[in-house]
Amino acid sequence: MEQGRSIVHFVNVGKTYDGERLIVDDLSLEIARGEFLTLLGPSGSGKTTTLMMLAGFETPTRGQILLNGQEINRLAPHRRGIGMVFQNYALFPHMTVAENLAFPLNVRALGKAEVEARVIRALDLVKLGGFAARRPAQLSGGQQQRIAVARALIFEPELVLMDEPLGALDKQLREGMQYEIRELHQRLGVTIVYVTHDQAEALTMSDRIAVFDQGKIQQLASPTELYEKPRTSFVANFVGDNNLMAAEVDTLRSDHLCSVVLEGGDKVIAVATDDLMPGQKVMLSLRPERLRLDPDAGAGTSSRLKGVIEEIVYLGDHMRIFVRTANQVRFLIKAANKEPHHGLTKGGMLTFGWSAQDCRALPV
Amino acid sequence: MALPAYADRWERIWHWVYLTFCTLVFLFLLLPVLVVVPLSFNAEPYFSFTEGMLTLDPAAYSLRWYRDILQNGMADPTQLFSGWSWIGDAWANSQWIHAAKNSIVIAIGATILSTLLGTVAALGLSQSILPGRRLIMALLISPMIVPIIVTSTSLYFLFSEIGLANTYLGLIVAHAILGTPFVVITVTSTLSGFDRSLIRAGQSLGASPLVVFQRVIMPLILPGILSGALFAFGTSFDEVVAVIFLADYDQRTIPRQMWSGLREQISPTILAVATILVAMSILLLTVVELLRRRSERLRGLTS
Amino acid sequence: MTVTVVTSPDDSRSIKRELTRSLRRRKLQALVLVAPLLLFILFMFIYPIGGMLLRSVYSPDFARAMPATVAAIAEWPGSGTPPEAAWAGVASDMVALQQRNEAGPVAAALNVEMSGARSLVLKTARNAGKLTAPYREAMVTLDPMWNDARIWQAIKRLSSPVTPRFYLAAVDMKVDEAGSIVSQPEDRQIYRSLFLRTLLISGVVTLCCLILGYPVAHLLANLPLRISNILMIFVLLPFWTSLLVRTTAWIVLLQKQGVVNSLLVWSHVLTDETRAELIFNRTGTILAMTHILLPFMILPLYSVMKTVSPVYVKAARSLGANQFVAFTKVYVPQTFAGVAAGCLLVFILAVGYYITPALVGGESGTLISNMIAYHIQKSLNWGLAAALGAILLTAILALYWTFNRLTKIDIIGLG
Repeated sequence: MEQGRSIVHFVNVGKTYDGERLIVDDLSLEIARGEFLTLLGPSGSGKTTTLMMLAGFETPTRGQILLNGQEINRLAPHRRGIGMVFQNYALFPHMTVAENLAFPLNVRALGKAEVEARVIRALDLVKLGGFAARRPAQLSGGQQQRIAVARALIFEPELVLMDEPLGALDKQLREGMQYEIRELHQRLGVTIVYVTHDQAEALTMSDRIAVFDQGKIQQLASPTELYEKPRTSFVANFVGDNNLMAAEVDTLRSDHLCSVVLEGGDKVIAVATDDLMPGQKVMLSLRPERLRLDPDAGAGTSSRLKGVIEEIVYLGDHMRIFVRTANQVRFLIKAANKEPHHGLTKGGMLTFGWSAQDCRALPV
Repeated sequence: MALPAYADRWERIWHWVYLTFCTLVFLFLLLPVLVVVPLSFNAEPYFSFTEGMLTLDPAAYSLRWYRDILQNGMADPTQLFSGWSWIGDAWANSQWIHAAKNSIVIAIGATILSTLLGTVAALGLSQSILPGRRLIMALLISPMIVPIIVTSTSLYFLFSEIGLANTYLGLIVAHAILGTPFVVITVTSTLSGFDRSLIRAGQSLGASPLVVFQRVIMPLILPGILSGALFAFGTSFDEVVAVIFLADYDQRTIPRQMWSGLREQISPTILAVATILVAMSILLLTVVELLRRRSERLRGLTS
Repeated sequence: MTVTVVTSPDDSRSIKRELTRSLRRRKLQALVLVAPLLLFILFMFIYPIGGMLLRSVYSPDFARAMPATVAAIAEWPGSGTPPEAAWAGVASDMVALQQRNEAGPVAAALNVEMSGARSLVLKTARNAGKLTAPYREAMVTLDPMWNDARIWQAIKRLSSPVTPRFYLAAVDMKVDEAGSIVSQPEDRQIYRSLFLRTLLISGVVTLCCLILGYPVAHLLANLPLRISNILMIFVLLPFWTSLLVRTTAWIVLLQKQGVVNSLLVWSHVLTDETRAELIFNRTGTILAMTHILLPFMILPLYSVMKTVSPVYVKAARSLGANQFVAFTKVYVPQTFAGVAAGCLLVFILAVGYYITPALVGGESGTLISNMIAYHIQKSLNWGLAAALGAILLTAILALYWTFNRLTKIDIIGLG
């Protein structure tokens, strides 16, 4: 293992609670030093278990977890030196904010002056300078959250784990905190492993995202790649809105494109994401904002369909248009509110199209 | 509970009837407890307010019954408060002081025993993995449900056989049995409100299991343990049926002494003792209430 | 959750073994923590209660005191006169009893079965040394009562160590001289009416507590916390005050020379001669017990009412219900859990009450507990005390169990 680049290495890690069902199934994952990695997935997908194994609160049933090249499978949590932010913050209610922050320093037997200095610095870092003497119960949710982050960082761990840390906050506060955590990460250069089930949060914050389902990583990629080039229908469905349609490969083309037949017989061109065979069942993934209302205006439109407008939902910055084709295939179109869209009425006919590069045929 | 503006006449009348009724119940609860206080300062050996007391004549009030608490049983009661030798006399011979010493020794012994056993058991009971948890819980709290007369007579037969009758240890054991359910219940409920992620947080911050226990778990469940201990202390201090069956004169406690006083010849000295006990219960109530608020404040975060 | 199966069956088995082992280890750890208290309760509480209850059906004292008689009378069918061996047995047992000075308990036990037997036994024991064979003639000469077959039937009944007679006595029945189960004569029936009285007084006390406690709990639950915390002291102070202090207070208030009577005399409702008998009777017991048990009603009611959201009553009123309908149809049903818990708690405590009835109950206000204490301390009829205690305990446990089954309410958590 190359010491410099990778900080954590999961090698074929498996975890089962009952000897039958694998909560985490043959997981291999390398986490680069200094990166912000998000484990994203629905509840029960194994992401939290993975995090808990890394923190030391769960023991892998098989495989190895390496931290800086050393196996830590059987190392007690308190000897790992990994910072952690808990879902409900887990601030010690009987201690003041300052005592909470000083706790990891005191158990490491740091000098009094050093502890005080670091506590002050940590409070400044999370912009809560005047709150040292408060109890956690006297703080708002957002303030508790910041103290929890500060406490996980104060003993300067190389690695910090965050288990859905923003789950309990309301939407606005959450967005503010996302920005703050991101900024702290960039400023301190610490490695962060972040667990969430909120795909928007994952896209906003991460360097890389590991999408979990059924105990396996479905795709590990940067936010852009994950959104633009989902590799499985699960990822395509879980990350962002999507039009997902069952289809069958008709013919393969040389340039990674293929022609597929939708249910009902409409033929469209799509990117073949894998080695597909003619006749193979696939799932078509088509982002609703990539559908064009005026297919003839721009170049590159490779497929066109016509349908009846079933519903138009106005959302301020964009509109959602639900269309049903003659062959009973339903599409969702997101149209940016850049200019007035005239002639769109419920029950009216609409022609729409897309570029072949935006339509991905995923194996099922 | 202000009446809304739309209330009609009958609702208004009903509302006042309701408030009056509640006021009367509150007086019913409190007055009998408080009535003994002024009467304990009666200069006369009566159980009613004298003419002088009602007109607030200072001569109608006295501390004679409080002095009597000390004098009763003293070798030389006339020497009370003169010189120093009366202290030794009262300490050794006064019946009430004898009873108070017994009450305190037995209550402290029972409290320590029941708190130790109860807290450790509660730690086990709070783990859902414990086999037969419901049955064990039912057994452990059964001393609360079994009538005291059945408990006392059963212990009377057992203690006669194994030589614990008429001993301090026997009474301590009996009162510990009666006190443990309170400890088990308060500590279990404190533990059930305990946020286990705090333990993980402590470990992730570098604290060993021992340090986590000392600095995180203990401070948070201590109020629960203390209030359980106070309940146990109060139970023992107030208990009389077991004492009637399991103690003779040497182990006589304050309630036992009051019991005899009430059965044999009732004297206003009992009112003086009762007043002291009321003062003690106010103290106990205050401490329990402070503990409860502290515990609630600490837990305010998670609830 | 994933449904993937661990690939190798061998692997799966070893993992399962490992998991079972760690599970067993954790179970054991929890048990070890519970064990000290559990053993303490089992040996110092459950075991002695079992021993005491055993006394209600098992009474070997008579057989132990009269070994020769018991052995000889086993042959006797129960009619006619017993064989000479039985007479000889009695004579020799009496000699031994007289030597050990232990004829008293035997005489007492026989006397319960047949009145007049006490003096017969004591007399025979005193003169046992002078009796010679044939014993039958000698004993009949000493006292012709020995010729009565009923005394021998009583001896035969007592000679069996397992006996239903204490339970029969506890419900005012007995095995008569002919060996059939009959009710005690009217003038000796006391326990059935005592049980009824205990239930009645407990029921009245429970009802009084409910009537007084419900409005107060409602008020406390609906006032702002700042005020209700202060008013709560009114409930908690009596709760924390010694039982004997509160009983003393009621004696002081209600006795003939007490505060209430003096007040009535002073306000000319009564004269000095007609001071009312307010205590040392059933009224006194009910009054004092209601006062003492009222907090046990208010506290569970309060904790349930605290969880009832005022939204429901508002909703009912917005749907057209007036205050009365909204309260009775919407609010009250939501507090049934508290009512049930409070009533059960008060009733269970009342049924087993001892101190207060003993001090303020007089003749008409004593309860079953007081009778148990009497048989333990004064009459020394421990078997009967045990039978009474067993009936009381069974009733309370059955009540508690039914309650738990019906409501699924954790009464303990509410207290």
